[in-house]
Amino acid sequence: MTLELFRIDDRLVHGQVVIGWGLPHALGFLVVVDDEIAAAPWEQELYRMGTPEGMEVVFATVAEAAAAMPNYQADARSGMLLTADVATMVRLAEAAAAVRQVTLGGLHHRADRVPRLRFVFLSPSEESALRGLAARGVTVMAQDVPTSAPIPLEAVLAAEGTE
Amino acid sequence: MTPAPATLPWHVHLAMYLRLFAIQGAWNYETMTGNGIAFALEPALRRLPGGRGGPAYCEAMARQSGYFNAHPYLAAVAVGALARAELDGVPAAQIERFKVAATGPLGSVGDRLIWAGWLPFCSALALLAFGLGASPTTVVALFLGCYNVVHLGLRAWGLRAGWRHGLHVAQALGTPVLRKGPAHVTRATALLAGLALPSAAVGIIGPGRAVLGLVLGGVVAGAAVITSLQGRIAGWRLAIAVLTLFTILSLVR
Repeated sequence: MTLELFRIDDRLVHGQVVIGWGLPHALGFLVVVDDEIAAAPWEQELYRMGTPEGMEVVFATVAEAAAAMPNYQADARSGMLLTADVATMVRLAEAAAAVRQVTLGGLHHRADRVPRLRFVFLSPSEESALRGLAARGVTVMAQDVPTSAPIPLEAVLAAEGTE
Repeated sequence: MTPAPATLPWHVHLAMYLRLFAIQGAWNYETMTGNGIAFALEPALRRLPGGRGGPAYCEAMARQSGYFNAHPYLAAVAVGALARAELDGVPAAQIERFKVAATGPLGSVGDRLIWAGWLPFCSALALLAFGLGASPTTVVALFLGCYNVVHLGLRAWGLRAGWRHGLHVAQALGTPVLRKGPAHVTRATALLAGLALPSAAVGIIGPGRAVLGLVLGGVVAGAAVITSLQGRIAGWRLAIAVLTLFTILSLVR
């Protein structure tokens, strides 16, 4: 077992993560990579309340997560790493070669974003960053829950709308 | 800054509670339950300086109508906490930060406790009652009664806990019922399902065993269809298709 999933999801720890992915993958730990949350104990407390007993949640900055990546990879449990936005995952991928596959799990509406899938809204800069990630050899796909089919990045970027 | 009111008048609290039942009424892919959150909060926001239509009221309504998504029952916690924060004059940036941080955990707790816990438990209980020979009315009443005791209670508790703790509502979510409850309910559901499924099958087949082959064939075909559709169709679409099929069959019979 190891850190096997890298997910971009603006809700971070929620039902799709702890139940949808957590049960079939028997996730034992989550790594939330976010510079602001790593410095905000009251936010960490909220996210901890969202995890079931037996599932550890670790908070780290990008630099801390990149440094600790070998430890995450060597963990005997299955784990998932989460970032709330594309930019943070790109920074992590640049700092840690272990990021080989990234899943877009949920990026919701914002003024500068356009809908691509019902659970993926992207801004032009985010689309460019994701293309850059793919150009580095990272496999990027969209998949909210394991029971839905993964959608490759090119298909996501070609999609228009929320259905 | 206006001193925080110690309590909300009961009629404001009641109005917010009733509005919680419409929290998904304006659900959409952009703001999800954002409009519902603002709608449920609105009776409390009238108490901001300047009253209804004042600058503080309008700013708060605009802020609360933005993106938010959580379990619909546990959203009551957020509504209570946000009402407290707005009336306490908490800075807008901190309120926005709370909304971002609360959406995931309130979804996670609600999904585990209700969708993966209490709803299957009540379904298995109703199925067991059917298998033991209860009338259709009793089965439906048992399901709705059990389910809604927790449903209605959770919304009321959430609103009260959110109001009491404000942005420090993580303390309330740490209660053993929410932390340990889902695991216990899941185990109890497994036990009930083990009793309910064979009992219900016996109830359907009946004493003459005339439809034994039909039931067994249906189970095998259903398992094959579900297995083959794994990863190719969303679960809710499959559930609606099966429900439609059963409705048509019951009308034809």
